[in-house]
Formats: sequence, C-alpha cells, structure tokens
Amino acid sequence: MKKLLAVVLAVAMLLGMVSIASAEEPVVLKVASIWSAETEANRAPMLKTLAEFEEAHPEIKLEVEWYEANAWKDQGETLALSDSLPDVFYWNAGGVLWNLVSSGDILALNDYLTDDIKDQLIGGALANMTFDGKIYQLPYTNACSCLYCNTELFDKYGVKIPETLDELYAAVEAFKAAGVTPMALGGGDKWPTNMYTDLITLRFVGDEAARACYYKTEGATFMTQDWIDGMAAFKKLIDLGAFPDNAIELTRDESEVPYFNGEIPMYVHGQWFSGSLSAEMQQKVKAVKFPAVGKGYDNQWMGGPAEGFSVAAYTQHPDEAFIACQFLAQHQSDNGFECGAGLPAWKTEVQCGNPVMNQIAQQVAEGDSLLLWGNTALSGADADLIGATVYDVLAGTITPEQWCEDMETIFGK
Amino acid sequence: MKRVLSNKWSIMVFVLPTVLFFTYIVIIPIFKTLWYSLLNEIPAKIGDASHFTGLEHYITMFTPGRRNPFPGAVVNSLLYAALSIFVQLPFSMLIALILANGAKGESMYRNTFFIPVVISSVVVSLLWGRLYKGLLPQIFESLNWEVPKNGFLGNPQTKIWLSFVPSLWQYVGYHMLLMYGALKSIPEDVIEAATVDGASGAKLAFRIQIPMIKPMLKVCLSFSLIGSFKLFDTPWVLLERSNRDLPALSMYVEMFTNHNYSYASAQAIFIVLECLVFTVALNILFRDRDERNLRRRKELT
Repeated sequence: MKKLLAVVLAVAMLLGMVSIASAEEPVVLKVASIWSAETEANRAPMLKTLAEFEEAHPEIKLEVEWYEANAWKDQGETLALSDSLPDVFYWNAGGVLWNLVSSGDILALNDYLTDDIKDQLIGGALANMTFDGKIYQLPYTNACSCLYCNTELFDKYGVKIPETLDELYAAVEAFKAAGVTPMALGGGDKWPTNMYTDLITLRFVGDEAARACYYKTEGATFMTQDWIDGMAAFKKLIDLGAFPDNAIELTRDESEVPYFNGEIPMYVHGQWFSGSLSAEMQQKVKAVKFPAVGKGYDNQWMGGPAEGFSVAAYTQHPDEAFIACQFLAQHQSDNGFECGAGLPAWKTEVQCGNPVMNQIAQQVAEGDSLLLWGNTALSGADADLIGATVYDVLAGTITPEQWCEDMETIFGK
Repeated sequence: MKRVLSNKWSIMVFVLPTVLFFTYIVIIPIFKTLWYSLLNEIPAKIGDASHFTGLEHYITMFTPGRRNPFPGAVVNSLLYAALSIFVQLPFSMLIALILANGAKGESMYRNTFFIPVVISSVVVSLLWGRLYKGLLPQIFESLNWEVPKNGFLGNPQTKIWLSFVPSLWQYVGYHMLLMYGALKSIPEDVIEAATVDGASGAKLAFRIQIPMIKPMLKVCLSFSLIGSFKLFDTPWVLLERSNRDLPALSMYVEMFTNHNYSYASAQAIFIVLECLVFTVALNILFRDRDERNLRRRKELT
C-alpha cells in the first residue's frame, strides 16, 4: 500500500513538473497610467481596456502603476533621467513628448506601424507625436477645449448663452449682479488658465499666427496688437470679476467642485471634463464653442490629439510593448468615447452615451482647425513660461503688454 | 581590542568601506554636479566637455530681471531662516523649559507637541491648505475683515509668509524634544545649587539651563539653518504649481520642468555652498565664544 502511494505521489509530482515546464511564462510589462482617482472620467474605461487586454493577450501580463496626472509627469521625468521608464506609459504629446524623445528615452514606432494600423486612426492624429518623420506615440483621445454652460443657471437668471465676446461680458455682468460667480477657474495649477487665454487669444490672433508662435516658426512674434488685444480681453474678464476671488490659489480639482454643485454657470475646460459630469448635470450642461470676436477665426478650436501611450526605448520586450501600446491606445479611445470621457482618436463604430460629449464631437467635426494648446505645443522652459505668465496676468502683477514681451523671449529676443 | 584600535591600519580597514560609500554617494555627485553646472545646456546623461561655459549659469542666476526669480528665492530662504532662528527656536526653547521644569501633564504635552513631526509634510501642507482656503477666509468674513486680494495663498504679499508657517509649526516639536532632552540631562545638583543661591524662573533659565545646553542649541541652529535653505515640500504643495519662490523649488523646476540640467546644477551647487558657508560660520561663532569663555575662565583662575 505504501509503495503504491509512493508511486502515485511520484507520478503526480512528475506530472506537475511537466505541466509547469510546458506552461509558457507570460511576458511581464510595466505600464504607467494616470487616472489614479476613482472620480477620473477615464478611470473606468481604462479598467475595461485592461480587462480586454488580459483576455485578448494572455501571453502578456501588464503590471499597472496608477498615478495622479501631475505626479506622473514629475515621476516620469525623474525615471527618464535614470533610464528606468516603464515599458509602456501614458504621456503628453507635443513639446512634453519632445523632451523625452530628445533625451533618447522613447522608442520610435515606425517599424511596427503598418499602413493598416495607420488607416485606423483619424486624419492628422499623429501630427503632434511625430518628430523628424518618426512616430513616438499612439493617441487614445482627441482633445479640445470649449465653454461649458449650465443652462439651469442661465435660465434661472434670464441670461443668454454667449455667442460673442460682448455677450460673454454681458453674461458675466448679469451673473455678478445676481451675486453668482460667473466662471470657474483653478489658477493654482496654471494650465487651466491657459485654457482660457489660448482660446481668447486664438479668436484675435487666428490659428496660423498662433501656430507659428507655439511651434516657434521663424518670423513668428507675440509683439502684435492682436496678441495684446487677446490678453486684454482676458484681463477684462478678470476685472469684471468673472472668476472666483481666490481663483489663483485654487487647484483644478477644487475649482470644479462649485461647478459640479451647480453654483457656477460657466467653465472653459477640456472635452474630458464632460465625462466627469454626473448624469443629472449632463442634462443641464451645454457645451459650446468659445464666443466669437468677428475677426474670421470664430470656428477655430484649441486641442487635437495631445495624449497617448509611448514605449520606453530601453524596454526588454519591444514587440510585446508595441502590441500593448497599440491595444491600450485603440481600446481606450473606444471605451473613453463610449462613456463620454473623450473624443476618439481612432475610427470607431462606438456610440457615446454622454450628450455633452456628443455636442462637442459634432461641433469639433464642423470646426475649421484644431491647434494644440500653447503649454503642450511648447516644451521645457517655454511651456513653463506660458504658464507662469498667464498666472501673473491673473494675479495682476503684469499687464497684457508685458505678457507679450515676456513670451517674446522664447524666440531668444 | 586596545591593540587593534591603536593600529592605524586596522582603523583604516574599518573606516574604509564607509568612506568609500560616502564618497560614492555624496562627494562624487557633488563634484559631478559642479562639473555639469559649468557646461552649456545639454542632457545630463552626456556631460560633454566641449560644452564648457564657465561661470555663465552662476552669472545668469543673479542677473536681475522680472523673469529671474532666483535672487528673490534666496531672499525668501534667508527670511525663512531668520523666522526659524528668531521665532521657531525660541518658541521651542520656551516649551522645552516649561516642560523640563516639571509642568503638570509634562509627558502628555511633550507627546502632543511632537505629533506633527511624525506626520508627512505633504499631509501637513494639505491640512494647512484647507485652513488657508476654507476656514481662515470664513473667519475673516464673519469678523468683517478683508480677505487679501486673490486669497491668502494667491496674494503675492502674504503667500510666501503663510507657506512658511506649516513647517515652522511642524518642527517646533522636533527642536523642543532635542532641547527638552538636553535640559533633562543637566545634573539635578546644579539646579538645586542654583535654586539654593536664589536663582529661579528666568534667571535659572538664562544663567544656568540655556548655557548648559549650548551644544544642543548649536545642533538645533545647524538643523534649522540647513533645513531653511533646503525647504521644498510645504511651499511646493501649498503654493501654485511649479512655483520658484525658494532656491530648492527653483532648482527642481529648472531640472524637471524646464530641463535646464546645467542651470539647475548651478543652483544645486549654490544651495550646497550656502549650507556649507552658514554651517562653518555657525561653528566659528560658537568656537570663538567657547574660546573666549575658556580664556576668561583661565584668567579668573
């Protein structure tokens, strides 16, 4: 009996070893994602994307680290210095991406990107991710900023949703007279202020001249009356009391709370903000293009594919990392659009359940142009400067003219 | 054992690993940073000698201009150092004296004052942020006082001062505990003798207790000064993103946001030098006093 038991155990052990040896170990990839907070509009779609990946690619195991967006930006820069970026990671496009491309941290994806894959992307999707003909990122969303209006408050106080800048000034004055703060703004994070100034100046300067400045084209200049007028229009909003008294010390998160609570009627924000609106708020909010100025640039938009997934240049598994990168970008594009977190960067059959997102998608499709935000198109110290200078305008420590002078320094003048 | 320790070679063998390790993680990086600070802007990974620009970054650092926040940042760090030395340390000393002289509930108060030290600076900053953005304006409004324009943390006149408060508050307990420990180690008979001679209260504190814990005061002063020049976390969390109101903040933004590695290296070297100069000055100051006292004592005897 004992002998029989020993034989059975030995056979079982042998079978166990054989099965272990034959089971192929999955390739493990480290992935860095933002959207660590449960409230982030892109969080649920990303979890769905990861579940889909796990099912579709059992041969690749993704170990995901979640970060808050700003924290990841700092962490990513630090990891890049020691060549230890994760295999696949979220990153901004434009100048922010160029920082890591120029230091040799990101893998060019040209060898992997077949025409078939490129055809699945929307037109011009890779423009902000391509440097010297090499593609360093795959977008998961198309972005834009617009004016979110709480129609309930507009109706309550009998104010018209502004279509022109003068109507915007009138709306601000009407809300102020009613004791309501007209526009939300988280100036402490700096970039939310850029959302306002980029759109206002775009209406005065136009896509072509603004693009020349943000991409530092030869002959471009901020020292024009149009730039001054654009910043002066923003200054006028400040002087009219459009923003909360302490807007400059608020973070983006803090500034959103009164808007979510239905206390503030207007907010200029990215399209992703619509995904953070509750189902109830989605019925009240109307997303419109920023008011017109009448200089011929009124259907131009700020944005474009500005975020995506990249592969570290030093990954040990470039083939698998590309598979993961493409899958995450494409599926997040679908899943994000489906739940209203973002506009798709890949061609899709998916329908969005968020009415606000549908309004934005429709208007952007009819828009004349999309220009990447100044702080994203510019890189390094220039990007920091455009954030610091609009902060100073908001604080009232510099004038619109001085803003133009300060920005002119990016051309080395 | 005595024979081993008297052998210089043995001592060297024991000390060598630590010296090598310290050289590798502290001395070499400092000199490497110094080298980078003398180069033109290049990725820090390269460090090519053909980009040598000498002291250009150091000159830029102190060239006045609206868009050069570094000189202002240095002034702010000196202000913080002054606040630490003239407000934080005396306050810590006051609490330490009260507790060491046998106040009721000594243990409870000692632990309570020390609690902020063990809390993360980020948590402390977030708590104070809530106070500045929420409770404080409410109190001001209820008292019909005017809240500063742009809020407490947005107003250029108030924000830097208010960003100092949390770390000043947080480390009161740390210095208090060091001083308290030193005060408690003063022999009882010294205190008794002074009391018999009629010393009490302030006289006992200023004539007996404080002079006797001077080595610990020197430690506290050094920590306080060096901490002031390196202050980073509280203003980083409390104030606007990528602010450059202190040298360490400026260095961080130049390095990780602006990718000006060489310029950031120059600022890092300045911070190291600043800490070094003030620490040496402090040592000289205390040594001179010690020597003067020793000389006076010798003359008396």
